[in-house]
Amino acid sequence: MQIGQTDNKNAPTRLLDPSVLSSLANLELVAKAVVEGFVMGLHRSPKYGFSQEFVEYRAYVDGDDPRHIDWNVYSRTNKTFIKLFKGETNSHLMLLLDTSASMGFGASHSKLQYGKYLTASLAYLASRQHDAIGAMIFNDEVVQYRPPTSKSGTLHGIIHMLDNAEATQGTAMHKPFTRFREHVKKRGLVAIISDFYCDPETLMENVRPLALHGQDVIMFHLMDPDELNPNIKESTLYEDMESGDSIEVDPVFMQQDYPQRIKAHIAAIEKTAQGMNADHILLNTNEPLDRALHSYLTFREKRA
Amino acid sequence: MSLLSPLFLFALLGIALPIWLHRLQTNATEREKFSSIMFMEQSQQRVHIQRQLKYLLLMALRILFLVLLVLAFTKPVFFVAPDAAVTEDTTHHVIVLDTSFSMREGGSFDQAIALAEGLIDNMGTDDIASLYTASGSVETITAATADTAVIRGSLNDLSPDNGRLDIGAMVTALDSLIASSQANFIIHFISDYQQSGQAVRFADMIPDVINGRPVTLNIHQVKTQNIANWSVASVEITAVDTVRIGLKNNSDADQSAEKTVTLSINDLTQQNLTETFAAPADGISYLTFENVLFEEGDNRLDVNVSPNDSFPEDDIRHTVFDNSPPAPVILLSADPESLAVTYITTALETAPRGYEVELQNINDFDPRILQRYPWIVIDDIGAVNESLAQELQRYVDGGGAILAAVGERTLGQTSIPVGGQTIDGGLTFNRNTAYSIQRVNTAHPVLDGSVGWNNLAISRVLPIETDDTSNVLINLNDDIPFLIERNIGLGRFLLLNTDLNNTWSDLPVKPVFVSFIAEAARHLSNEELLVKEQTINSFLQLGQNGGASGQVYAPSGDSLLSLADTTQAQSIQLTETGYYRIVTLGRDILVAVNPDARESDLNIMDAQTLQNWETMVAGSARSMEFVDGIAVSIAEEESVAVEIWRVLLILLAVIVLTESLLGNRYLRFNTGNTSL
Repeated sequence: MQIGQTDNKNAPTRLLDPSVLSSLANLELVAKAVVEGFVMGLHRSPKYGFSQEFVEYRAYVDGDDPRHIDWNVYSRTNKTFIKLFKGETNSHLMLLLDTSASMGFGASHSKLQYGKYLTASLAYLASRQHDAIGAMIFNDEVVQYRPPTSKSGTLHGIIHMLDNAEATQGTAMHKPFTRFREHVKKRGLVAIISDFYCDPETLMENVRPLALHGQDVIMFHLMDPDELNPNIKESTLYEDMESGDSIEVDPVFMQQDYPQRIKAHIAAIEKTAQGMNADHILLNTNEPLDRALHSYLTFREKRA
Repeated sequence: MSLLSPLFLFALLGIALPIWLHRLQTNATEREKFSSIMFMEQSQQRVHIQRQLKYLLLMALRILFLVLLVLAFTKPVFFVAPDAAVTEDTTHHVIVLDTSFSMREGGSFDQAIALAEGLIDNMGTDDIASLYTASGSVETITAATADTAVIRGSLNDLSPDNGRLDIGAMVTALDSLIASSQANFIIHFISDYQQSGQAVRFADMIPDVINGRPVTLNIHQVKTQNIANWSVASVEITAVDTVRIGLKNNSDADQSAEKTVTLSINDLTQQNLTETFAAPADGISYLTFENVLFEEGDNRLDVNVSPNDSFPEDDIRHTVFDNSPPAPVILLSADPESLAVTYITTALETAPRGYEVELQNINDFDPRILQRYPWIVIDDIGAVNESLAQELQRYVDGGGAILAAVGERTLGQTSIPVGGQTIDGGLTFNRNTAYSIQRVNTAHPVLDGSVGWNNLAISRVLPIETDDTSNVLINLNDDIPFLIERNIGLGRFLLLNTDLNNTWSDLPVKPVFVSFIAEAARHLSNEELLVKEQTINSFLQLGQNGGASGQVYAPSGDSLLSLADTTQAQSIQLTETGYYRIVTLGRDILVAVNPDARESDLNIMDAQTLQNWETMVAGSARSMEFVDGIAVSIAEEESVAVEIWRVLLILLAVIVLTESLLGNRYLRFNTGNTSL
């Protein structure tokens, strides 16, 4: 299935493009927090995860999945222990998807649609790695929130949530990000998927606290080809999808000045991300989704 | 403004189309959604607004085009009020100019124009005037107006015609024309006041006084004494080569004058005779031309008298002489040796018109020749077989006519062939007592003025039953039809319920039979409708050839009927003097038209009569009652309807041009942008 194509709109799994999943199966999502923990030694158990190589036992604490309790040890010691294996560190992945009205823009498929595929793919990938995954859909409010958990059915719950998301309202990060900070206490990976039509300063104000609290932030910056290089032949009256305001622009401006301005904005967002020690990935919604993830994960792997 | 065809207003719903198209166009192409305009900059050129304005202008033009188009179809008319409103001090001068034939005499008409101009010069500042002409009819030349230049301009275009003025008819027409006006009237009648134009009843010359308005009659005579005048009163063909001309002395005293009379036939001068004519007052003196040669068919006879007197227009007279050979008519009979054939042939050949009977055996008859004959005779309708009956049916349906009688061969039949009337039981009555004529429809052309029907001895008839489609012209006792007419399609079927062998009745040997056959022939061939010498403005009855009118050409050469009218028109008015030509399938027919002879009588009404007329008109008037302080406007009543469809057409043309230019500019604009 290609991006933007759906064979059954109501099927929750339609976002999981098999071609995308098959290409991602040989890659491992290495959370920035794991890498950071490995490098800084701040992470409590950055090197251990749920892989096949057994490492040791540890006592069960509240919050651990009861499925991982070794019942043989319990029968012998009458104490609950959890089996630990060498591999990726179990981590929290929070997927923040922007569903503001501007995300509805796109010729063949909207940025929101693209964002939904990306979010679902990341969630699925994390789910295979037994990471706790959560999601938040926001515009100028929190539309839906699902706390991070590794319980079964989480993936399907997130996918169902994504399915119902629609592009409405404007983009105001303060309120949803404040609420997000209130709910997420554990450190983990935070993926923000948005077109970032906002002031970089505002972005900095709202995202920086997450980084300061130890969250690894990945910013997937979605842009439609027509946004990057608009191609109009005559003066056109554009209507802002969020505010409804109209402006008449001439083609010379749109073909010469506008791409420069957009590039400057993207550069400003990227600079802001760098300032927060976050990764900024610019994704053209015209390029295949699997290739975009592959490029990202390859890049991350190199960094790791 | 009023609309003569307001139903066309429903077409205004059509303006929804350009509105819908423009809305669709604007929404589809003018506005595009974009994720964010935060990095965009307003264009210096407000192209969109310009284009939107252009779109609106284009849409407005298209809507206006549709509205004007619909408006043009609704036939709007404006009612324009006269220039001046009527007040208590306003006098309405009704100038009536006599333009009848007699006004051609001498300088009568020039004098009438001069009198009218004098009246206009003497109009008061608050006065209004209207101009009418009176001849065969009264025509409005200028509606009530205070603008004397308009009336003066109209006067210059007037000239006398060839009609006859009847003063009584003129006053009646004037009454209806000026009935709605609210002003004080002065009727200025400028005429030669012919005695012959005076109404039979003096009261007919007094205008009605409507709404209590005072009416004054001012008589303006263009001549004050009688004028002697010779005119060609009659042209008679007394023998096949003799023409008698009558010259009338139209004066109140004995007159004699030497005149040369020229007789032209078909535009070729045949003879000139100079003779001194002497006749008493209103008497006629005759002159006879002998050895005159006529051509076959209708001949044009033009009589010209010289030297001319002061009224030369009536020294000419046109006449038509029909020198056609006896008209052929088919007599269909199963027994050519029968008495019926003898009786019918004799009656037809002795008729005034003269008919040449072509006897045909009904058993060997070729129906294809029927179309050459306007009507035929059948001595015993019972001899018609089924196939011939169908042919005859088609012949009558197409405009032919049949005169038929029953006979021995009709006995035993259940219905009359062609006519379709049923015969009750197929039996004949044969009673001891003879039948008697009960009712004769003398109003019918065939029986008009005929006497002698009551003296018939009728012993046998057929029990024919008629329905609403048949017209019984003669009834016997016991309500038995004796003469039946039925119109079939465009033709006629005339049936005698007796044989013509002098067996069932003695009709064939009675004098009424000859006159009946002659009148029936005239009726069935439509000749009765045609009067070949007519007076101007009279009506010519058409339907000369089996219901088909044919084309009619005026003396000027103009064809008067449209293609549809050539088969439908029943009459036309003869408005020109000279020869009208009626072209039908069978032949060309000429009709001569002359001015009314009474117009040649230039004796005028006596002064006392005119004085009495003026006095009686004044006496019949009463004071006008005005509402205090309120001027009565005549705008509504005498307003003139002005059609504005021409203006609308010009506007439509301008809009189409503008729309094209604007639309073209829009296209040019697009091309320019594409190149960027």
